[in-house]
Amino acid sequence: MFDFLIQGFGVALTPLNLGLAFLGALLGTLFGALPGIGPINGIAILMPLAYTLGLPAESSLILLAGIYTGSEYGGRMSSILLNVPGDAGAVMTTLDGHPLAKKGLAGPALGLSAVSSFIGATVAILGLTLFAPLLAIVAVKFGPAEFFALMIFAFASMSAMMGKDPLKTLIGAVLGVLISTVGVDSGTGVLRFTFDMPELYDGIDFVVMIIGLFAVSEILLMLEHAFRHDQDGEMAPIGRVMVKMSEVLYCKWAILRSSVIGFVIGVLPGTGASVASAVAYTTEKRISDHDNSFGTGNMRGLAAPEAANNASAAGSFVPMLTLGIPGSGTTAILLGALMLYNINPGPMMFREQPMVVGGLIASLYIGNVMLLLLNLPLAGVFARVLQVPRWLLVPSVAILAFVGVYQLHSDLMAIYLMLAIGVFGYLLRKFGFSLAPVVLGFVLGGLMEENLRRALSISGGDLAILWQSGLSIGLWIAAAAVAFIPLFAGRLKAKFLPARSA
Amino acid sequence: MRYAADRILSLLLLGLAAFIAVQAWHLEVPFSYDPVGPKAFPLLLAGLLALLAVVLFVRPGPSGEWPSGALLLRLLVVMGLLVVYAALFIEAGYLLITALVSVAIAWLFGASPLKALVGGVLLALGSYLLFTYALGISLPTGSWIEPLLGAN
Repeated sequence: MFDFLIQGFGVALTPLNLGLAFLGALLGTLFGALPGIGPINGIAILMPLAYTLGLPAESSLILLAGIYTGSEYGGRMSSILLNVPGDAGAVMTTLDGHPLAKKGLAGPALGLSAVSSFIGATVAILGLTLFAPLLAIVAVKFGPAEFFALMIFAFASMSAMMGKDPLKTLIGAVLGVLISTVGVDSGTGVLRFTFDMPELYDGIDFVVMIIGLFAVSEILLMLEHAFRHDQDGEMAPIGRVMVKMSEVLYCKWAILRSSVIGFVIGVLPGTGASVASAVAYTTEKRISDHDNSFGTGNMRGLAAPEAANNASAAGSFVPMLTLGIPGSGTTAILLGALMLYNINPGPMMFREQPMVVGGLIASLYIGNVMLLLLNLPLAGVFARVLQVPRWLLVPSVAILAFVGVYQLHSDLMAIYLMLAIGVFGYLLRKFGFSLAPVVLGFVLGGLMEENLRRALSISGGDLAILWQSGLSIGLWIAAAAVAFIPLFAGRLKAKFLPARSA
Repeated sequence: MRYAADRILSLLLLGLAAFIAVQAWHLEVPFSYDPVGPKAFPLLLAGLLALLAVVLFVRPGPSGEWPSGALLLRLLVVMGLLVVYAALFIEAGYLLITALVSVAIAWLFGASPLKALVGGVLLALGSYLLFTYALGISLPTGSWIEPLLGAN
């Protein structure tokens, strides 16, 4: 049953892939630590690099996964030292992380978060190793109708769990799916929404879309931040670098509980680190906050979201690798990257691409150890990255975006399209959308339509095929349940927890 | 005014949905065995989008802070700079245009003129060396330089 893992270590332990895992971890930590650049921006900006190097599919996935997990490590630095979360998943880290730093415990706080991240990720990778093959066995039973229902479930659970605004999450997902319909229709060869521009016949290129949406819009947002001076506090001094064993032991149950919570939430398609860390933090506060010190620099309040954060990052690989449904915005980007290698994500991937899947899982184990070894002693060095001034950072992001698109297309149209998408992404963010649903819709849209049409051509156009098997009925019910539970949960919370709302 | 942004957005989305529906409706479908065809999915999405837009109009959220005045001008200038960067990327050559654009952006983001000049030029040079020699990407030299370099 675990042949894939042994095979995977064979792939991941080649010198090239070991080096790439290290490079990914290093670049990821650096990029995650840059002010204003969270994991998802980091991976969007660095993605073209994987193609530039001309790597085989499994190697570039190892590099990208290293960047992903690395930037989760790096992202905590600005949360703890500056009270500026790099992305939504790091908001909870600021609650106790920054007070700790102000108490002069910045070093131990960084160390503790590295250790909790390591444990959280390890628990989740073990879970991934155990559950992925089981899920893959079920996945083989998926036909086009079940696959379609599964994607509906993914969008439902995403809109219910992600972001503060379910309506805008759904609208964003629909917009993403719509963008994916641009280009030649694979079923009939008809051109859709191309407006006689040959550049659009193949659809909107994935790299152009991602870089425009994230990197270019980030440049505009950074200009706003710089103009309003609404961040960049004083950086707390690091102090003692190593965390004490007793401090880790004090948090051991908080870390383990949160790791499990993070993994489970990460596995749910469409929900990621922001939900996981919030649930872990509130759970831990309820269980172990006896003296009301959460929020004032309690080590457990830091350890819990950090463990959950990284556990959910690894957990979101489960649906991505077994079902082809990304568990988060970031894994949606990874999935899109895979599709550029003509690897079809979906239930059969585990069978058809054991090298890629096994290699990736094995490299997660290796990368996780590398990250701990990098981050424990070198926290102070990485923290310096926080002081990179914006006037140097912004042109660098612009350069990476331009060169990234240019080297793939050598075409000015692609660059103009990237800029237009950047303005679109900026407007979306100003309107209060989060970009992850848009990416998820964009990546899944093509597959969704393809499976719908395949199912209906099997049944000769009879819609009933969509809810005929037990599996698909279960998925429709699950989708309805996750869509409606939050409505009731909100009411329940208001009833029972009026005092805790502060 | 509090809900203006979401209301405007809702109208824009309705317009988009109508546009998509009209476009999809006019797709000419040659004979095929596919019972669904290329129209149905976009039409379905347009309907869903219109529905969501109506809900948004009825239940808008508060508008965020929108840029105006000097900030809006700066945003437009940065966007304009990026368009210039794109337009001259091949003509002017990577080194020259990257240096110019970097200096301008750095200055816009509040660096002193000297810092912007030194930082921008070093950034262009450093990234050129990194991309060309370490990553093997060939970047445009610039059509005005090539004659100076002689025929090769």
